[in-house]
Amino acid sequence: MISVAPDIAKVTNAIDPSELTPELTALEMKNLSLHYGSKQALYNIDMKIPKGKVTAFIGPSGCGKSTLLRCINRMNDLVDICRVDGAIELEGKNIYDKDVDVASLRQNVGMVFQRPNPFPKSIYENVVYGLRIQGNNDKRILDETVEKSLRKAALWDEVKDRLHDSAFGLSGGQQQRLVIARAIAIEPKVLLLDEPTSALDPISTLTIEELINDLKEAYTVVIVTHNMQQAARVSNYAAFMFMGELIEYSDTNKLFTAPSIKKTEDYITGRYG
Amino acid sequence: MNKWFKSGSPWIWMTAGAVSISLISVIGLLLLIAWRGLVYFWPSNIYEFSLELNKTPVTVIGEVYDREEVPTSRLQGVGTDISGFQGNIIERFLIKTGNREYVDLDFRWILATDIKSKTAHADLVKIERNKNGNFYGYIEGVIENGKTIKDKSKYEALESVIDRAVELSDEMMDIQNGEIGSINYKLEELRLEERSYELKGKLTAEIIAELNAERKTLQADYLVLEKQLMALRADSQRDTVLVKDMRGEVVSIPVYQVLDAQFPNDMNVFEKAIQFIVQIGKFISEDPREANTEGGVFPAIFGTVFMVLLMAIIVTPFGVIAAIYLHEYAAKNAITKIVRISVINLAGVPSIVYGVFGLGFFVYMLGGNIDALFYPEAQPSPTFGTPGVIWSALTLAILTLPVVIVSTEEGLSRIPTALRQGSLALGATKAETLWRIVIPMASPAIMTGLILAVARAAGEVAPLMLVGVVKMAPTLPLDGNFPFVHLDRKFMHLGFHIYDVGFQSPNVEAARPLVYATAFLLVSVIVTLNLTAIGIRNHLREKYKSLEH
Repeated sequence: MISVAPDIAKVTNAIDPSELTPELTALEMKNLSLHYGSKQALYNIDMKIPKGKVTAFIGPSGCGKSTLLRCINRMNDLVDICRVDGAIELEGKNIYDKDVDVASLRQNVGMVFQRPNPFPKSIYENVVYGLRIQGNNDKRILDETVEKSLRKAALWDEVKDRLHDSAFGLSGGQQQRLVIARAIAIEPKVLLLDEPTSALDPISTLTIEELINDLKEAYTVVIVTHNMQQAARVSNYAAFMFMGELIEYSDTNKLFTAPSIKKTEDYITGRYG
Repeated sequence: MNKWFKSGSPWIWMTAGAVSISLISVIGLLLLIAWRGLVYFWPSNIYEFSLELNKTPVTVIGEVYDREEVPTSRLQGVGTDISGFQGNIIERFLIKTGNREYVDLDFRWILATDIKSKTAHADLVKIERNKNGNFYGYIEGVIENGKTIKDKSKYEALESVIDRAVELSDEMMDIQNGEIGSINYKLEELRLEERSYELKGKLTAEIIAELNAERKTLQADYLVLEKQLMALRADSQRDTVLVKDMRGEVVSIPVYQVLDAQFPNDMNVFEKAIQFIVQIGKFISEDPREANTEGGVFPAIFGTVFMVLLMAIIVTPFGVIAAIYLHEYAAKNAITKIVRISVINLAGVPSIVYGVFGLGFFVYMLGGNIDALFYPEAQPSPTFGTPGVIWSALTLAILTLPVVIVSTEEGLSRIPTALRQGSLALGATKAETLWRIVIPMASPAIMTGLILAVARAAGEVAPLMLVGVVKMAPTLPLDGNFPFVHLDRKFMHLGFHIYDVGFQSPNVEAARPLVYATAFLLVSVIVTLNLTAIGIRNHLREKYKSLEH
């Protein structure tokens, strides 16, 4: 097993997430419920996601952690039969309000998926895709952004000599870092990671985890993972979900060492899940 | 045995057999067409046959066109005298004798038993003429500029007088079709302009004077050109060739009628090969002559390609847009399903039905209304309200629309959701995602649809006969007169040309090789169009190959 010094996870005296002040809160979910047709997938979720920290959602398969994540950038809108009740406030503004422009919301809330999904374009064009969408075609700015984003994603040194080659020439781990670079190129406030390492080998996983560690300096990161060691290694806060409900949510250290609810304990000790 | 069945070997044999049979039939078909079509261009020997018919000696000069074996009983049945011949089967030859104006038929059958001798004299000549077909015989002499040459230099003289005549006739052609054609076009424009002023009630004396002045200059130009033309014509009639034909009579052929004179018996294989290529080149690049039975097929090639390209330009955007709506935007309900099924079934409607629809809707209704609105001055003669290349292209576009829609939809459904979501997650709207990611990635599938559409459209003839194809189009849909592209014009088509030459021509026997040659050409044109499209598709595939991930 990889052993990353879990220095982040060992933050003592972390603020309890329910007591976060508005200045420290990036996102707040208020009584959030979600239905797929007649089937309810999320039940009355209330939580505050801290700014500039890594928050992990953990739980068994089908518990709703990915669904919850996709609510934050309204990816669930793509599912016709999906209905969301309640609110998610991003900087005090409910993203489910009628006057919210979904495209510009997604520019503020970036997302990285389970499997790397680079576009069939060059590495360079992949990174600047979001900027081009915003109508930014100034070559100088694009060049700068490419270098900056790729450096942040710890990919620059590997690809700087072949920026105009196809992104498909990269390995799986490199592709995933490219996708992260693509997401941070448009400077989102929040970055959602949906099991970003589940399709990768251990070495690539390690690189991505180190990257997540660096990213929290600039972004609020929300990560879904089914790997508890990973959650323990990379996150500051962790939320345990079960059957569409938020069971326990606290700082990672506390959740893993002294869970206050029996279900959480059962899960993290491997009794089910 | 049971084990053998279970092993699957018979199944493999059966499937492989089916593939082999298909391959053999396709290759066989192509070889047959290619062979029968291409032999036509190979210069074959000219023979002089000495026959004895009813005890009288007869000479026949010509090319052997065909041979067959007939039972003697059949010949006796029609009263042919074959006494003295033992056996049941007799061989006979079809001879192309040419010299159409002096003999009853330019083809005749002769029986092998009647032939006393068969010789291929080196000085037998085949003269290609611009009317009445070929002439076979011996060169007796050349009358060049009033001077009769009968000695050895007559062959050189023949060459030089023919070159001169061909040059003059090219010059005349240029004047006739180019400059005089352009003057006629302008005169017609003036007439239409005058008529349009008249219809608007604005025809003042000033305008009439202006138009008349223009007309006068054009007519003056015309007179100059006509004078030139007359001079050239008189000049080209200067020389004559004297040829002794198979009746033993000397016939004088004016040189301006001669296109080419060849001595195939005197050629070696290389010379024949060169001649073969030259003849193919002429077939591809020249206009047809003599009710399409002679000459080339250039206007038909041009018409076919032009119409198919026009169709592709029309059908691609329509089909792609329709497919995008059906696949991306339309609600996934029963109505969409019905629409989709109807679209697929449209591909099964017989093409002639589309032809009838095209004639009724496009030509009469749409074209008629366009004429009424925009070309009232040309009435009662129609401009767009008559079959033309644009209506043919539109009719075929509807015919091939289902193919494009179905393959585009298939392509769209193969784009991974992950890529669409990736684009949406970066703040792109659905439309932006479509333009930047989905459509480029679906472009190989769109090309596949286009390939199928082109293959189908280039081979369609039936609907075109109703909406735009003609036996002989005097002008191409593209020329030097403004606005250069004339979409209202009728055009020639290789498919229709095959039908016309093979079944409607006055001289079916002479035209038969042309049918094969044209068919081979049509196949080649379609294959070329398809290979081009396939090349583009493979390039696109290479560019967007991500689906394998």
